[in-house]
Amino acid sequence: MEKPSSPPAMADIFRFLAQSMRYPTAEWLNDHFWSVLLSFLDELQWHEEREALIGAKAGAADFLEDVQVEYTRLFINAIPHVAAAPYASVHSRGDGTLYGAIAEQTKKFYREKGFALVKENDLPDHIVYELEFSGLLAKDDPEGQKIFLTTLFTPWFEIFRGRVLEEAHHPYYKVVVNLIDFFTREEL
Amino acid sequence: MSVKVTRRKFLQTASLAAASIPLAKVVAAETGFVKNPFTPPGSFTGTQTVTGGVCEMCFWRCQLVGKVRDKKLVKLEGNPKSIDNGKSICARGNAGIKLLYDPDRLKFPLKNVGERGKPVWKQISWEEALDECGARLKAVQEKYGSHDIAMFPHGASAKYPMDFFEKVVGTHNVSEASFFQCRGIRDSAYMATFSVPPDESVDMANARAILLIGCHFGENVHVSHVKAYLKGLENGAKLVVVDPRYSASAAKSHIWVQIKPGTDTAFLLAVMNYLVEKDKYDKQFVAAHCVGFSQFKHGISHASLDWAARICDVPARQIQEVAELLAANAPNVSIHPGRHVSWYGNDFQRVRAQACLTAILGAIGVKGGFVKPKGVKVKAISWPKGEHGGEHNLRLLADLHHYSPPGTPTELIRDACISGKPYPIKGCVIWGQNPMQTIPNQQKTVAALKQMDFVMCVDIMPTDITMYADILLPEPCYLEKYDFIKTGTQWNFADKHQQYIAPRMPLVDAMFERRDGVWIMNEIAKRMGYEDKIPVASLEEKINKELAAVNLSIEQLKKEEGIHIQDGKDPYGVAEDLEVLLYSEDLEENGYPPIPTYIPVEEAPQGYSRLVYGRAPVHTFNRSQNNVWLHQAMPVNPVWLNDEIAGKMGLKEGDEVGLVNSDGITSSSRTVVKVTPGIRKDTVYMAHGYGSRNPLLTVGANAGVDDQELITRLAIDPETGCNGMRNNFVKLVKDGKVLDIPA
Repeated sequence: MEKPSSPPAMADIFRFLAQSMRYPTAEWLNDHFWSVLLSFLDELQWHEEREALIGAKAGAADFLEDVQVEYTRLFINAIPHVAAAPYASVHSRGDGTLYGAIAEQTKKFYREKGFALVKENDLPDHIVYELEFSGLLAKDDPEGQKIFLTTLFTPWFEIFRGRVLEEAHHPYYKVVVNLIDFFTREEL
Repeated sequence: MSVKVTRRKFLQTASLAAASIPLAKVVAAETGFVKNPFTPPGSFTGTQTVTGGVCEMCFWRCQLVGKVRDKKLVKLEGNPKSIDNGKSICARGNAGIKLLYDPDRLKFPLKNVGERGKPVWKQISWEEALDECGARLKAVQEKYGSHDIAMFPHGASAKYPMDFFEKVVGTHNVSEASFFQCRGIRDSAYMATFSVPPDESVDMANARAILLIGCHFGENVHVSHVKAYLKGLENGAKLVVVDPRYSASAAKSHIWVQIKPGTDTAFLLAVMNYLVEKDKYDKQFVAAHCVGFSQFKHGISHASLDWAARICDVPARQIQEVAELLAANAPNVSIHPGRHVSWYGNDFQRVRAQACLTAILGAIGVKGGFVKPKGVKVKAISWPKGEHGGEHNLRLLADLHHYSPPGTPTELIRDACISGKPYPIKGCVIWGQNPMQTIPNQQKTVAALKQMDFVMCVDIMPTDITMYADILLPEPCYLEKYDFIKTGTQWNFADKHQQYIAPRMPLVDAMFERRDGVWIMNEIAKRMGYEDKIPVASLEEKINKELAAVNLSIEQLKKEEGIHIQDGKDPYGVAEDLEVLLYSEDLEENGYPPIPTYIPVEEAPQGYSRLVYGRAPVHTFNRSQNNVWLHQAMPVNPVWLNDEIAGKMGLKEGDEVGLVNSDGITSSSRTVVKVTPGIRKDTVYMAHGYGSRNPLLTVGANAGVDDQELITRLAIDPETGCNGMRNNFVKLVKDGKVLDIPA
């Protein structure tokens, strides 16, 4: 088994965070992912969060399905409604619908930094894309990453995170949005 | 969360040594990005106009263009090439963008891991969803028979799946809301009278007089239809509006007949009897085309002005005035056939009376009269029809509703579901319809669904009914796909005669994992063992094949800016063999009144008022209630209450109220009171399509009151089996106190 030794790169951390916000499947939400996630919490000394996750998994008849149901309820379609649509446009500078002005601005920012979406018709302001993009800038363009995070990401993510913390039933997404917050907030 | 380790410290010291694998190994190898050298501003192409849109915010289907900027649809407009709606689209048409980008829309296949009615959704793959739909429908079919699958379709995308279940699987138990809770009665009544489904084919633009029975144009907006109506008024047509409410049309009328609800047939009989008695009917037309005039004359002879005046609660002289006005302007008179006509359970007779009145005025095939446009026909490609026999046809088994529209009356299906007789119905496919808000008595619908072995829904929005699905599949909306081919003619027959063909083409690509109805149905058909019956591989192929029959193609239509226009034909004239059955032997043989007959409806109990409903100009029933622009334009559906009655009840404009019906059903949500002299004292009114109870609809849930929730008393039109939905009576509830309505 290959063991980690040196501190993780920011690019990898952002891709890990992006991965954490994808729809959970057995393909990636596996024991390896789990051990990395717990290591993060361990080294951050987030003991309560770590225990909450371990407890949720230990007590689950089908942990993966629990997280899938939670993801669907929070981010896709659910009751009481899509609690926290993972798109900037729903939370910022618009009327709560998809593909608002901030989505176009985000797409423009990607383009200005020399990137485009592989699936060019996808909504550019999904949290997974924004975290992946941050990871891409982290190594070669930290200043660009900083501008992206402060002008386009953080303003809506604050609202989004608040919704997740308020609406989530399962500890997994509370932990994940707090991790994202930790790695994207400037003052930390 | 308290910060125990700073980010800087973490990045300097963390090793993640406890993890079983390096961080980089647990993330996906690829990102969603590609390197794309930046193209400086100046070469950006800007906003493009994409043609080929056909609206489906309602079912009039205006032709559109989309303004698209960098793959995003930013504006919808009428297609300037259109000879139908032209550059004009209505508020709903404009708001289509907000449907396209509604975050509540269905995005991925969902599986209900909770229970029906209290769903717990999880996203699943298309493969898993289709496998489950195919296997479970097949299981129902094998255990009980093909007839044990019921289907409730609605809209253009549901036609291909509907044909699969009817023609290939072989179930008769298909019930379209557009027929059984809307316009089916109209079509059947006109077919029974002069063998022509009427649509809304009256030449209002060139009429000298227009008679509307309950139609409220302006509130019910179909663009080219409203254009024709307004052109007629602009040209000086006299307008008669029969409506218990001072509707937008009543406000433009020369005569407003503030009729007592449910009595319209009596009014029409009196008008016809007066015309016949006074020799003011078109004798030449009647002699040439009408059958059974003497029986008809005798049969309506009781319908004096005074008789109708007492029943309808309107002055006899006003009925006379209407009859005189129609006679004076005949034959250039538009007797509008209506659209949503399933009102009281006596509706076939009323609509047949409208058809008969049209005939005795000679108002068929003439300028201003009932005139069918001569558009081009494009035949739909569909599934091959198998031989399935009629032994499981519920309508034939019951020997009822001999003038039913196509499909099976909803009540027969729902009753069979609940009772298991004459056979159980255990599989249900709901495609684009929301039976919770289309079919009266929601408790029965819930009971029918709860006993199913399997329920699947296909929709674009999480409507109320989707809460009862086991599998819920997402379709693209009308802006994201090929679909229906709209055909027609220029809206004003006074203009050059032209025909148009306009297939729906996508203005933008479909987002998320939405799949069109042809693809979904084909994949399920394969899994049910019907792969050899599949008529087309894709929706695009279907449209191309249909267009090929008229020597067109999608490619050609794109070159022609989305609309093909060709020379048309003069629609005026009467077929020599046209036969109008004023008296129908066929109806009599089947046990129905052979001439139009007034059948009284139940009166409101003491303290209650009759609930009637209608359309709002910014909504298409529940389909648009979650649209943020339309919601802001009209967030709730005020309940109209007569001002004198409101005064007696101590209610004022804007008071918040709920409603309770005479079966004790209380509205789940509340609305506000609109105090007005423009409604009868014995009637309250509200717009339909509000108050969804599915909390997945962030905007529309509990906004206003759902009138359908209060429609629990079922009336069935005997000839057609369609529902009548205006025989329910309500009181108002304010601050928890039930208030009698002192009509």
